[in-house]
This record gives sequence, structure tokens and C-alpha cells, in this order.
Amino acid sequence: MAPAMRSIVIALAAIATLGLRSGTTAETGTLRGRIEVPDAAAAVPRPSVADLAGHSHSADAVDRRRCVVYLASAPMPAFDELRPGRARMDQRGEQFSPRVLAITAGTIVDFPNSDRTFHNVFSLAKSRTFDLGRYAPGRTGAVRFDRPGIVPVFCDIHSHMSAYILVFGHPYFAVTDDAGRYQIPNVPAGSYSLMVWSELGVAAPRRVTVPEGGTIETDFQVGRDR
Amino acid sequence: MPARMSGRAVSRLFVAALLALPASALAQGADRPLGLTLGRHVSFGGEVALVAGPEDDDAFFNYTDYERNALRILRLRLFSEWRIAARLSLVGEIKSEDVAAIDAAAVYLRWRPFAGRDFYVQGGRIPPVIGAFARRAYGRDNAVLGLPLAYQYLTSLRPDALPATNTDLLRMRGRGWQPSYPIGETALEPGIPLASVAKWDTGVEAAWRHERVQLAGALTRGSPAAPVVRETNGALTWSSRAAVTWTSGLSVGVSAARGRWIEDAVADLLPDGRSRPGSQSVVGIDAEFGRSRWLVRSEWLRTVFEMPIVLADDPDARLSSWTAFVEARYRPHPRWQIGARAERLAFGDIRDAAGSMTPWEGDVDRVEGTLGYRASRHLEIRGGWQHDWRDAGRIRERGYPTCGVLFWF
Repeated sequence: MAPAMRSIVIALAAIATLGLRSGTTAETGTLRGRIEVPDAAAAVPRPSVADLAGHSHSADAVDRRRCVVYLASAPMPAFDELRPGRARMDQRGEQFSPRVLAITAGTIVDFPNSDRTFHNVFSLAKSRTFDLGRYAPGRTGAVRFDRPGIVPVFCDIHSHMSAYILVFGHPYFAVTDDAGRYQIPNVPAGSYSLMVWSELGVAAPRRVTVPEGGTIETDFQVGRDR
Repeated sequence: MPARMSGRAVSRLFVAALLALPASALAQGADRPLGLTLGRHVSFGGEVALVAGPEDDDAFFNYTDYERNALRILRLRLFSEWRIAARLSLVGEIKSEDVAAIDAAAVYLRWRPFAGRDFYVQGGRIPPVIGAFARRAYGRDNAVLGLPLAYQYLTSLRPDALPATNTDLLRMRGRGWQPSYPIGETALEPGIPLASVAKWDTGVEAAWRHERVQLAGALTRGSPAAPVVRETNGALTWSSRAAVTWTSGLSVGVSAARGRWIEDAVADLLPDGRSRPGSQSVVGIDAEFGRSRWLVRSEWLRTVFEMPIVLADDPDARLSSWTAFVEARYRPHPRWQIGARAERLAFGDIRDAAGSMTPWEGDVDRVEGTLGYRASRHLEIRGGWQHDWRDAGRIRERGYPTCGVLFWF
């Protein structure tokens, strides 16, 4: 699925179920599983032909294996219970860390510069266009994300730096760990479409039914889309 | 001459492939990070820059040393890094201008001898060391559309042909796109800029960066003004740059270079031949200040060309010149940017036939401003105006509307 399309799916997630699932009970279950991503997932950075200053050796390792698993739709109470807070995306070793961040709408993300060089953080995403400008080591910029969608984030100074922020209209999502595992707890019992976002490719959505007090194990395999 | 990979078909294929990328990227979703890789060890980057200015076949203010107009050009670049081993890479760039032949603009081995340190040794056809602009001559890093005079404007000097008298030299003032002299090569060829970014030199460079300090030094076969692939004078040029970056956002670099720029083929035609002075010396200072929405850069470069003028009162002339520019970029909005550059290129005096002191080339002034729009992270559209003044030549002033589209990945 193209990123723009995924963005639309996430955006619609906040709207689609407003009137459909308002009667869901408070009993919850857990979704968990493992995401298998394509081999050769570690990215080779864009070559720097002319300017060594723009390409530190520390920028070599780019981990693109992280995925985000989320419900395509959520019960009505989920929107009432949104508790946006603060999140953090560091800039260290000429990389954004974490490279993939998932948040609920309304969350403020801090972008501290933990390097010894200036950085810039910007995005031209339709759901959140911003440019924090250039700022010094030790300084922090912050951005509030109010609209669901996928926000690719870049540094204008270091072209090899990129990251993604996924903004959801509900709290039912999880970012995979080093082993590719995820867990979404406290999902109200019911039937849902479970989706995966990965920068490496696509995985077919799964229809899952979460039982009261139970756990559903659902694995995915991400295939290449380019 | 640049190394050429012949074949019109290959050239067209290369051009078609690069031109297809912007459309493909936009179709996929413009703001995803674009990156082409081949397995785990080869990565690619590229740039397509189309600048559409008016024809300029009489003033030649923006001609480059490829005899092309920097304000009216389709420039395609594809660069790649092949990680042969953990600390050894083969880096290359091929480019085509105006859908002409493909040039191997850069081909070198990059070796990082110490793991965890930003110390590199690279050998082959390598990037220039002096100045700062030369290392960021790619479109996305340029505040405007044109190139700085120091790195683009063609002076009347030629490494393969020499004037016999001061009058021969002064007659070519303002004719750097096609100077001719009585000694040496008689075919029409362009002159040389103070320092070339269109062509890279062949040699070895060591570069080191630690926290806020950068040092680089190189030994090459050509000179800053006349880089070469094949040996032309058997001499080596050294060049170096030291730079410091402060936490305020200010960085300052100092660079210098010296090497022989006159080809042996023409020197051999002179009395005392190759023992005559024929070096180019360069010193430069560059500064950059970036903070918030502002980016301000400035460079100053002074160069002296030693040149035998056999029938002049002073047969071993020292032709001096200096140039300076200040440029700024301001982003009032994530998608919009305003860029401007003001610069001057001035030349030292020599004695003319009447005994008066006259600049050996016509001084040039230039201002340029652009308004840019980022359609996506990888696609930018710019438009603006450039105005040039020159103290020599038939056309002494001209303004150019400029517009350009830049795609990079």
C-alpha cells in the first residue's frame, strides 16, 4: 500500500467507527505476535560523494526493521480516553532515535539535539507540515501532532537522516521490538481489522476477534512493495 | 578532458532513466525517503537539475568550463558508493550535461583506516579541497540557481596557450569563453575559472573530522583552476583546508593551494621552458552561519597565476585576482525559501602598451535572488533574477530571469 494510502487509512481510523462501535463493553483482551520483515533490512546510507562533513561514520547503521501494528478501527470509548502526552525523538549519531515513533493525536514530540553538530527537523507531510530550523547541540525543539497520519521527518542538513512518526486517533497500536514482537494490551473485546505499517513493504490486514480476558496471537510477514 | 564513456545510446539510456525517477518518486508518494540500493553494499543517489534561462551567446556571463551555460542547462548526476569491505568503498559519480556524453566526474577509493573515527583517505578523481562551495555544488545546497563567480566565471587564461605580450592578454579581457593566444594551442577553447567545480582533480586526499574540527589535505596532478585526469605538466599541486565549527552555529574554514597550472606542451615552446614560473597559488576563507530559519555563507578567495609573457617588460608575470561572495537563505515557511547572493570578482593590474596599469581581466559583479518552493522533500522549484556587470567586453551588463526544477534522491 502506498504511504499516502496508509495515511488515509490511519486518518480514517479516527472517524470510521464513531457511530459503529459505541456499544462495546469495557472487557478487554490482548493482541500480540511477531512481524517478519524482508531480509537485507539494514539500509545502506545514501552515498556522500563530495562532503565528508555531511556523513559521519556513525551514520552507517540504519535499522529499518521496526513496524507499527494497529487497529484500523477502534471502539468509541477509545476516543474519549485519549491521553496525549509527550514523546521524544532524539537526534544522536546523525540518526533519529527512535526511527519509528507511534503516538496518539495531540501528543507533543520533543526533538532534542544530542549530537555535537547542528541539526534541523522538518516535515512536509500533509497532516503536519513543520520546520524547526537549525538548532544547536543541547537544544530541543517540540512539535504537537493533532491530526492522524504518517509524518516522515527529515534533517535538512544531513540528507541521510530520516524517521517516521505515526499519529493515531486511538491508543491501540504498538511498535515492534528488536525481535519483531508486538503487544497491544487492553483492547476492548470485539472484532477488528489488524494492520501493519512498515517502511520496507506491506502486509495483508488480518481480521481478528479479541475475546474478553484473552490473548490473540497474530503473526505477519511483510513483503516488499518496491 | 574528462574521461568519456562513449555511446549515444548509453547516454540516452542514462538520461531517460534519471528523468523517469522524479515521476516515479512522485507517483509512489513524494515524501518517503528515497533510496536506491543494490543488495547490502551498494547505494545510489542522484540529481536532476533543469535550469531554463534565456540564451546568452554574446555576453557569456554564466558559461562554465564545459562550454555550457549554468543558467540554461539540464544536468543529470548519478552517484554511487560500493562498500567493498567494512572500511573500504569505491565512490563514483557520472554526469551528463545537456544530454551530451556521460562524464565520469568522480571515481575514487575511500578508505577509513580506523574504525570509529572520521578519518578518511581517498584516491582517484577526488572532490576539491579548497573553499566550501566546491564540496556542496549540488543543487539542493545552492542558495540560488547560478554558481559563484569564483568557481564558474571563465577568465581569459588558458593552460595550453600563452600570450606573447601584455597586449595579447589585455585583448582577451571579457572573452574568457573563447580566448586565443599566439603561443601554444591555436584551437578555440574556453578559459579557466579561479577554481573549478565542474571538473575534479586526480590525486590523493586525507580528511579528518573530530568534534568541531575538520582538516583535509590533498596532492593532485592538476591545479585548482585546471584539474586534470591525464598528466599535463608532471607537477603536483598541494591543497589543504582547516575548519572549525562553534556551538553558536558559526563555522570558519581556511584553505590554501599551490601547483603548476601551465601545461608542459606550451611551456616547452618558451625559452627556459619548464623552468619558468607557472604555478597557481590560492588562499581562501569561508564562513557559514546557520541558525533557525537563516543560513548565511561567505567566501573570499585570492589567487595568483604565474605566467610567462615572453615579450613583456616583466616576462614572468604574476596575475592576481580576488573574489568574494555573501549568500543567504531564509525559510519563512517549511515549503518556501528565499535565496540571494552578491559577489565581486576583481583582477590585479599589468602594464598596457601605453604604460598605464590596467586590470588583466574585466572585473565582474553579480547579484542573484531566487524564490524557491519545496513541492516535496526531493523536488524543488525555483525562480528568480540574476544581474551581471563587467568592466570589459562588448556586453558589459545583462540581467537574466532564471527558473529551475531540481529533483534529488
